[in-house]
Amino acid sequence: MSRASVELDFFGMEKQNCCKSRFQKSLDRRLSFRGLQGALSKVNPELIKSVIASGLKNPQGQDNVYQMDSNKSFSVPSSPKETQSLFPALPLLTPAARATSENGPETAPLTIFYNGTVSVFNVPRDKAESILKLAVEVEGNSKNVEPIDSKVASPPSDRQQLLETLNGDLPIARRKSLQRFLEKRKERMTCASPYAC
Amino acid sequence: MGENYNELKKSTASQTGLTDVVLGWVMLYIDDPEDRSAVSLVCRRWYELDALTRKHITVALCYTTSPERLRRRFPHLESLKLKGKPRAAMFDMIPEDWGGYVTPWVKEIAENLTCLKSVHFRRMIVNDSDLEVLGRSRGEVLRCLKLDKCSGFSTDGLLHVGRLCRQLRTLFLEDSSIIEKDGRWIHEIAMNNSVLETLNFYMTDLVKVSFEDLQLIARNCRNLVSVKISDCEILDLVGFFHAAAVLEEFNGGSFYDQPDGYAAVTFPSRLCRLGLTYMGKNEMPIVFPFAPLFKELDLLYALLDTEDHCLLIQRCPNLEVLKTRNVIGDRGLEVVARSCKQLKRLRIEADAEEEGMEDEGLVSQTGLMALAQGCLKLEHLAVYVSDITNASLEYIGTYLKNMCDFRLVLLDQKERITDLPLDKGVRALLRGCGKLRRFALHLRPGGLTDAGLGYIGKYSWNIRWMLLGYVGESDAGLLEFSKGCPKLQKLEIGGCFFSEHALAAAMIRLTSLRYLWVLGYRELSQSSRDLLAMTRLFWNIELVPARRVVKTDRVGEVVVVEHPGHLLAYYSLEGPRIDFPDLIFRLNYQRISLYRSISL
Repeated sequence: MSRASVELDFFGMEKQNCCKSRFQKSLDRRLSFRGLQGALSKVNPELIKSVIASGLKNPQGQDNVYQMDSNKSFSVPSSPKETQSLFPALPLLTPAARATSENGPETAPLTIFYNGTVSVFNVPRDKAESILKLAVEVEGNSKNVEPIDSKVASPPSDRQQLLETLNGDLPIARRKSLQRFLEKRKERMTCASPYAC
Repeated sequence: MGENYNELKKSTASQTGLTDVVLGWVMLYIDDPEDRSAVSLVCRRWYELDALTRKHITVALCYTTSPERLRRRFPHLESLKLKGKPRAAMFDMIPEDWGGYVTPWVKEIAENLTCLKSVHFRRMIVNDSDLEVLGRSRGEVLRCLKLDKCSGFSTDGLLHVGRLCRQLRTLFLEDSSIIEKDGRWIHEIAMNNSVLETLNFYMTDLVKVSFEDLQLIARNCRNLVSVKISDCEILDLVGFFHAAAVLEEFNGGSFYDQPDGYAAVTFPSRLCRLGLTYMGKNEMPIVFPFAPLFKELDLLYALLDTEDHCLLIQRCPNLEVLKTRNVIGDRGLEVVARSCKQLKRLRIEADAEEEGMEDEGLVSQTGLMALAQGCLKLEHLAVYVSDITNASLEYIGTYLKNMCDFRLVLLDQKERITDLPLDKGVRALLRGCGKLRRFALHLRPGGLTDAGLGYIGKYSWNIRWMLLGYVGESDAGLLEFSKGCPKLQKLEIGGCFFSEHALAAAMIRLTSLRYLWVLGYRELSQSSRDLLAMTRLFWNIELVPARRVVKTDRVGEVVVVEHPGHLLAYYSLEGPRIDFPDLIFRLNYQRISLYRSISL
């Protein structure tokens, strides 16, 4: 039965937000955070450090960079690799969201979680944005830069094999009711006497 | 609504200036479940009002919630529809004891849902004792009982229904697996019920039903409008047809080699929806006098060839619903396009493989193009084709603007298909058919590229349910697909070779997804790490490994059927279920805390 769907937009809220439950919305927020981590996690922090060092105005910048001991780092979930690699292209939060009240040329802390370690850099906003751009670029360009996930691109021969077996595995499925009718019809044609009513 | 009225009156006018009384009355006119869902999210008061005034609930999968939770939210529910086993159960792909037991629900209905008048169980397991409990507790008020593709009960359970549910307007048992002990249940109905309007035991294997009881029902129930029965010699139903004065719909019966033919059969004058099982070329003329009145015609279980279809359909200018097998052929579809301008629903199933070898009995792009141009009111189309082109899909997108449910399966008989891949055609179809809510596409390797799969994602802005078989080429296609489909709630995938990693990523990106079923799933041992990536809070994941089933078919031959493994994932408020058979693995998910790693 087809029904035209009527959108009740009581308070002019976006359609999407209306239909999502509160849980779903908070989930999305958290997923965006993880997306940020995910993208940055693909890039070696040494590379990031060098990018920052080259453009850093603050002469004290180097001193502010420190690495936490992996023992003292936040308790990352037991399998960060899998979870991080799942979110390759979610929208990234701008670091401004995490920054202190300072804006413009002032530096703000940028925290990177990578491989069980945490690095915090003080960077100006535009530098932070270029780092993010770099991260997205790197992640988008080459999958083989990923040190983590070995299962993403299985070798072509494997896939071929899968294909071939699946071809055999999955015939066109018919509804049970139709299947029963086709069998009964075959029976009718081969049998002489009809069914008892 | 007595006590509710006082409740509503007490609270002061809300910010909108409407009192709760007014709101409550307005809400009674809002039926559409999606509207209701939106209404209930506005604020707490509206949520409560919706809960008090909602009449019908469909629980798309019974394990997503619990009977207690349902009752707590909707204590005054009048109508309930529950679905159990995955859709694949209709194609014999789900083990019988997979789950979907109605017992806990019947218990809640019996104890607490005092306003419930209509119950519909679909693809669930029902016991005789459940029917007894239902009959004893709700028998006096129950007006509609539908055991739709259910199993686990016998005619003894139906005996309780016949004896206790005397106010039934609708008894629907279509396609259920019923253990038949005798025909007493129909006799009870004949003796006790005088208000029955719809009686349906079509596609059940009940043979001990006596036509005299059917006749009695027709005589007692003056509003009997729709009757669908199992196989029963049509000549025995002459008395029934005489008695059923207001009958509009009839399906079932059976034709055998009768020496005097079927000239003696006369149908009730208002009959306009018909489907006669095993009706052949010789018997067909008995329906000709009614053909101009036909609104629905079911030829799925008839024995007609292409020519017969043409002869019959050309006499049916008012046809709105047609179901048949692909023996109708392109030629038959051309007749449909010319004659049936009112057609809204068309279903063309696939005949047995050995039947469709002559070109006449096959449907291809030719038939589809004619159909698209001729039947502009078409809303539901399901078709198994032997050949296809992009152009035919483009025609559908151009002409069939009312299409809301489109399903296409490409059969594997022909080795070379005229025009693959179908990227352009699928894109044109989805862009053209803006009202599409349900979409199924089952092709073959090479049928749709990754770009094509991306188009499906991009242009399916209104689609809620999708079945995809053998589409795309690689994970990239699935990931592209998952960027779109903003309203996709239920996704079934078969025969596609996406990795678990891609499936997990897609699951997360599809914002409305609440149910995923994947057929042809590879063994658990190979990729347990990636599987764990799929786990999240409130998401149940069940795996049925590949299995081999040995059964005996109707002619006594032993058949070994290979069932590939499958994965089912769904949102649930109740956590993992406990009533699954040993066959099923439940994914042992860690409760990955989403909070810890975010803190800075």
